[in-house]
Amino acid sequence: MHPIFVLTIRQLSGRMRLSIMAVLALLPVLFTALVVRGETAPFVQEFEAIVLSAMLAGAIAPLIAVAIASGAFGTEVDDRTLANLTLTPLPRWKIVMGKLLASVVVAGPFAVGSAFLTSFLAFNRDMTAVLAVTVASFVGLLLYCVVFVWLGLVTKQAIGVGLLYIVLWEGFFSGFVSGIRVGSIRGYAIAWMHGLDPRRFVDDAHVGLIPTIVVSAAVMAVFFWMSTRRLRRMDVP
Amino acid sequence: MIRVDQVSRWFGSVVAVSDITFDIGPGITGLLGPNGAGKTTLLRMMTGLADVSDGSVTMFGEPVRDNPALYGRIGVMSEHETVYSFLTGRAFVRLMAEVRGVADPGAAAERAIRQVDLLEAADLKMGTYSRGMRQRMRLAGTLVHDPEVLVLDEPLNGADPRQRAQFQSLLRRLGDEGRTIVLSSHILEEVEQLAETVLLIVNGKLAASGGFRAIRAALDKRPYHVRIVSDAPRKLASAIVMLPSVDAVNVDPDGALVVLSSNVRALQVELPRLARAGAIGLRRIEPLDDSLESVFGYLVGR
Repeated sequence: MHPIFVLTIRQLSGRMRLSIMAVLALLPVLFTALVVRGETAPFVQEFEAIVLSAMLAGAIAPLIAVAIASGAFGTEVDDRTLANLTLTPLPRWKIVMGKLLASVVVAGPFAVGSAFLTSFLAFNRDMTAVLAVTVASFVGLLLYCVVFVWLGLVTKQAIGVGLLYIVLWEGFFSGFVSGIRVGSIRGYAIAWMHGLDPRRFVDDAHVGLIPTIVVSAAVMAVFFWMSTRRLRRMDVP
Repeated sequence: MIRVDQVSRWFGSVVAVSDITFDIGPGITGLLGPNGAGKTTLLRMMTGLADVSDGSVTMFGEPVRDNPALYGRIGVMSEHETVYSFLTGRAFVRLMAEVRGVADPGAAAERAIRQVDLLEAADLKMGTYSRGMRQRMRLAGTLVHDPEVLVLDEPLNGADPRQRAQFQSLLRRLGDEGRTIVLSSHILEEVEQLAETVLLIVNGKLAASGGFRAIRAALDKRPYHVRIVSDAPRKLASAIVMLPSVDAVNVDPDGALVVLSSNVRALQVELPRLARAGAIGLRRIEPLDDSLESVFGYLVGR
């Protein structure tokens, strides 16, 4: 395995960080377990809007991603150890790839596990629905991770800026202003859920699975390229 | 080997490095200057960690900035002493070998750790190391790919006298092998003991460059201020002003004499004789110009 991937896994696997991630990941699962069993269980549309969209795609996945992915480079910039990696013949994209993959590997089990258990409880073992929610959550996490890895390279306040982005853009504006969903990762996560299981979010307007895949790939590519470019041009502390 | 050509770097309106040009060849070159002189900024530009505002830096004829392949031939030890505290020394040096594409990282790490004489602590976590041990293990990480050029920013920081001697002997050996070594320091004696060539940086400018002997000779000729506290300052002043080694004498309001001498060695011999002959008690003698800043200031002002 690539040494930067292994190093980053160790950097991001602090016990405290992982404990907080576990608590975050369990929130939608516990919430779902409580509400679906009661006599006042929500309608499917309500559940999708509150749990799948607002909680999973709009809060849990980005919070897990910002806590982990922004630290992939952020801790090295803060500790001034980044020069250990940049003063090497490694192509810069390999450094970014190692950091990104490690972020996804550390954050992935929390986001994916949370989505799987939540949808499993909610949709009564309907595996199409479970798979759609789980895959969409993973794609959403990937997108959030690539954005926050880049953010960790451009600002020392990556966590703060990331939280503002999550609360204002993904949480507030994209929840109320439908046009903003075109530029929101939460919107694309929902589009993935609908694309893989058309019974989900049936009342929303969707762009279709193929455009969603294309845009998701483009966002990945653009932020990956921006991270590589930043690493090549920045003054390394 | 290393060419720095009219390099400047400014941060907003602050000029950190101003129009510096020099070439560095094989052997040990010392980059000397007081704290805040611009040494680290210059080293960071020389190694491609920071961009230049103007000018160019090349190594082996290639630009250093945005040229990762060059780092296979260069070893850089930055001034920052932070390490991956969760890694053992051996794991750190091995990691440095792996990211530099060394064929047998385990063997290379073993060899580098032996070079810095730290095998006994190689399996301890770096978070438990003393400052001197951290520096040595970081040097091992810098040497692990057998680089042709070594750039070391204040490498002797935190080393005790024994470690310092080991460090110096290792660097001398590496220099004798024909490597190009650049090391920075703000301690005159440190550079004097190691470097054949010196680049003197003051206020972001290249104040002097060349062999250490020439710079040392220039330093020996400079006039010194010496403060003398005695029982009878006026009597001593009238006598001391007659000495050939003394250029001027001032009496401070507190009664101390401030003597300007262009031959301090002669003054050291003549002053006790003079005091004994006049039965004057000498209470305190102190040089006023021994700070590094004043030494550099003298060289710049010449």
